[in-house]
Amino acid sequence: MLVLAVRSLPVRRLPFHREVSAMLIAQVIVNWLLLGSLYAAVALGFSLVWGIMNIVNLAHGAFILVGAYTAYWAFTQLHIDPFLGLPLTMLLLFCLGWVVQYVAINRVIRAPFLVTFLLTFGLDLLIADVVQLLFTSDRRSINTAYSGFGLTLGTLHIPFDRLLAALIAVLLTAALSLFLQRTRTGNAILATGMDRDAARLMGIRIDRIYALTFGLGAALAGAAGAMLVELYPFDPSQGGVFTLRAFVIVVLGGLGTPWGALAGGLVFGLAETVVPLLPGIGPGYDDAIAFALMVLVLIFRPRGILGKAFYA
Amino acid sequence: MFGSWHKPSTSSTATAEPGAEQRPAQPKSGTRWPWSLLTGLIILALAALIPLSGDAATLHTWTLILMFAALAQSWNFLGGFTGYASFGNVFFFGVGAYSTGLLILAGRPFWLGVLAGAVAAGLLAFLLGLPVLRLRGHYFAIATLGIAEATRELVAIRNLGGSGGEVELPLPALSDTAFYFLFWLLALACFLLTAYLARSKPGYALIAIRESEETAEAMGIPTYWYKIGAFVLSAVPTALAGGLYAYWSTGFDPPTVFDVGISVEMVLLTVLGGAGTLLGPLVSAILFELLSFQFQISGSTFHNSLLGLTIAIVTIFIPQGLVGLVQEFFRPLAPGMSRRQLLVEGVRRVRRVIAANGV
Repeated sequence: MLVLAVRSLPVRRLPFHREVSAMLIAQVIVNWLLLGSLYAAVALGFSLVWGIMNIVNLAHGAFILVGAYTAYWAFTQLHIDPFLGLPLTMLLLFCLGWVVQYVAINRVIRAPFLVTFLLTFGLDLLIADVVQLLFTSDRRSINTAYSGFGLTLGTLHIPFDRLLAALIAVLLTAALSLFLQRTRTGNAILATGMDRDAARLMGIRIDRIYALTFGLGAALAGAAGAMLVELYPFDPSQGGVFTLRAFVIVVLGGLGTPWGALAGGLVFGLAETVVPLLPGIGPGYDDAIAFALMVLVLIFRPRGILGKAFYA
Repeated sequence: MFGSWHKPSTSSTATAEPGAEQRPAQPKSGTRWPWSLLTGLIILALAALIPLSGDAATLHTWTLILMFAALAQSWNFLGGFTGYASFGNVFFFGVGAYSTGLLILAGRPFWLGVLAGAVAAGLLAFLLGLPVLRLRGHYFAIATLGIAEATRELVAIRNLGGSGGEVELPLPALSDTAFYFLFWLLALACFLLTAYLARSKPGYALIAIRESEETAEAMGIPTYWYKIGAFVLSAVPTALAGGLYAYWSTGFDPPTVFDVGISVEMVLLTVLGGAGTLLGPLVSAILFELLSFQFQISGSTFHNSLLGLTIAIVTIFIPQGLVGLVQEFFRPLAPGMSRRQLLVEGVRRVRRVIAANGV
């Protein structure tokens, strides 16, 4: 209708452009929110493990990978929808994370951070390689019955699967926050994060709390992986990319609370969505901008946007 | 945080004791410094015999081993001695490679490119160090990682040297043996520099910063400038290695010379060998790279799994590094102990070290 009006009245071209750019801006905002929340899911487990255990888990990307391939396997072999199968994926990843922490990382938890850095890097190599052996290095994607469908408001398009993923990401953030604040176990995790030795004196089994925390971190990574494989084609080389992004997101948002991951995810999503649209820059600079942003945040506000001392 | 990495005795020397003057503060490698120096020089002298084998594959492998030995040793200046773990030192490798590549493409001799790369890397380390060395621990690691990653992307997008940042160089005028000895010289220079740092005032200042930055500052060490100096010191040999690698490989692209894997390898080799020790990075570069090449040759499908498993096992069981373990094992015991008692005591100590890092 609008197009017709413009054709008949060439003088009114300006409002037409304004209309289009308004819709474009709305679409950019929607894309940003959807992507940003998804990134929050990517970083949530990473942020938890870092905040509580002071471990930068370089195997985070490998857990995302395992989650993605579990969802892929369940979908192609057992015909389980990736979103419905999410609890199962998370349970499997929880067990994997629990075992990794109990068997390996707990042994060097008091060593300086370089050691855990290297250990998780080794685990990342190992897990990613096993995934590649099992599933080959081909790109995989999931096509559900509702892939490609979405809500359409005028020119505004919101894909169902992305919307669902964003909602689940926000739900997971809220659930983690509530779990940490409202339950006894959650409080024990927080207490361990604040002061390991004091927590032990209060009767908390540190090794179990660490295994639980790492398991939760892996489960959240698995959830992110299951949602990612539903949205984007996936291959085993991508684990490292997501570890790096989780890094940046957590730094941007700050270590304080699960909501820091959401804030960081939104900032990172903003950089990735908006920067390529700026005149004179074009696509491809998004990661460079994100890393530059991260370095600036580190120097001028090392605690991140929502950062506090610990999970509280 | 870094205090627990080394024997507590080194940090306790900072406190004023009556007998402190008779017992000067020494780094971990200090007690056996002459022996470490001699062992290292013998290893390097033996490495100089490799080209005699005449086997091109062996020469190739050992060229890379010496390159990684130089990289790990230069990482050790900042990461091992000063305790600032950079995860983006590959940035300087890339700077060296691109300076050399671009100057060769512009028709200049290669040595000019390598030197220009070293100067550029030194300047960049100084300028970047000004803001970045105010950060500590994880945050310093991540900031340096971010710089390297962002540069890799920028070089690729700006099409530096060619489409996508791919640089194609003419075949080098030097023989493979000449390249081998250039890398050998670099590794030797890094080793001698490490030996100097382990036994000199600037080196002690860096170790003091690692053990306690506040104490070092209070003792009158200008910690900030020492840290920047160590950063420059670790950047220059890295850039030299990058420049040599660029000319040797005759072609490279941003994912190769800005590969995070190279940064991680520098950290890995130093920590496996023993951070802040004289021999550690050199020995582990040789052992680990040989092992890595063996995995690559024997079965490429399991290469990364075996590498990952090795890293995991080594970090779990000897988190203080090979040199630290050997020193702990051979630390002087009470006189009059039999060899058997000595062995039992050594094993007990090693087990205690392993157990000390757990929950």
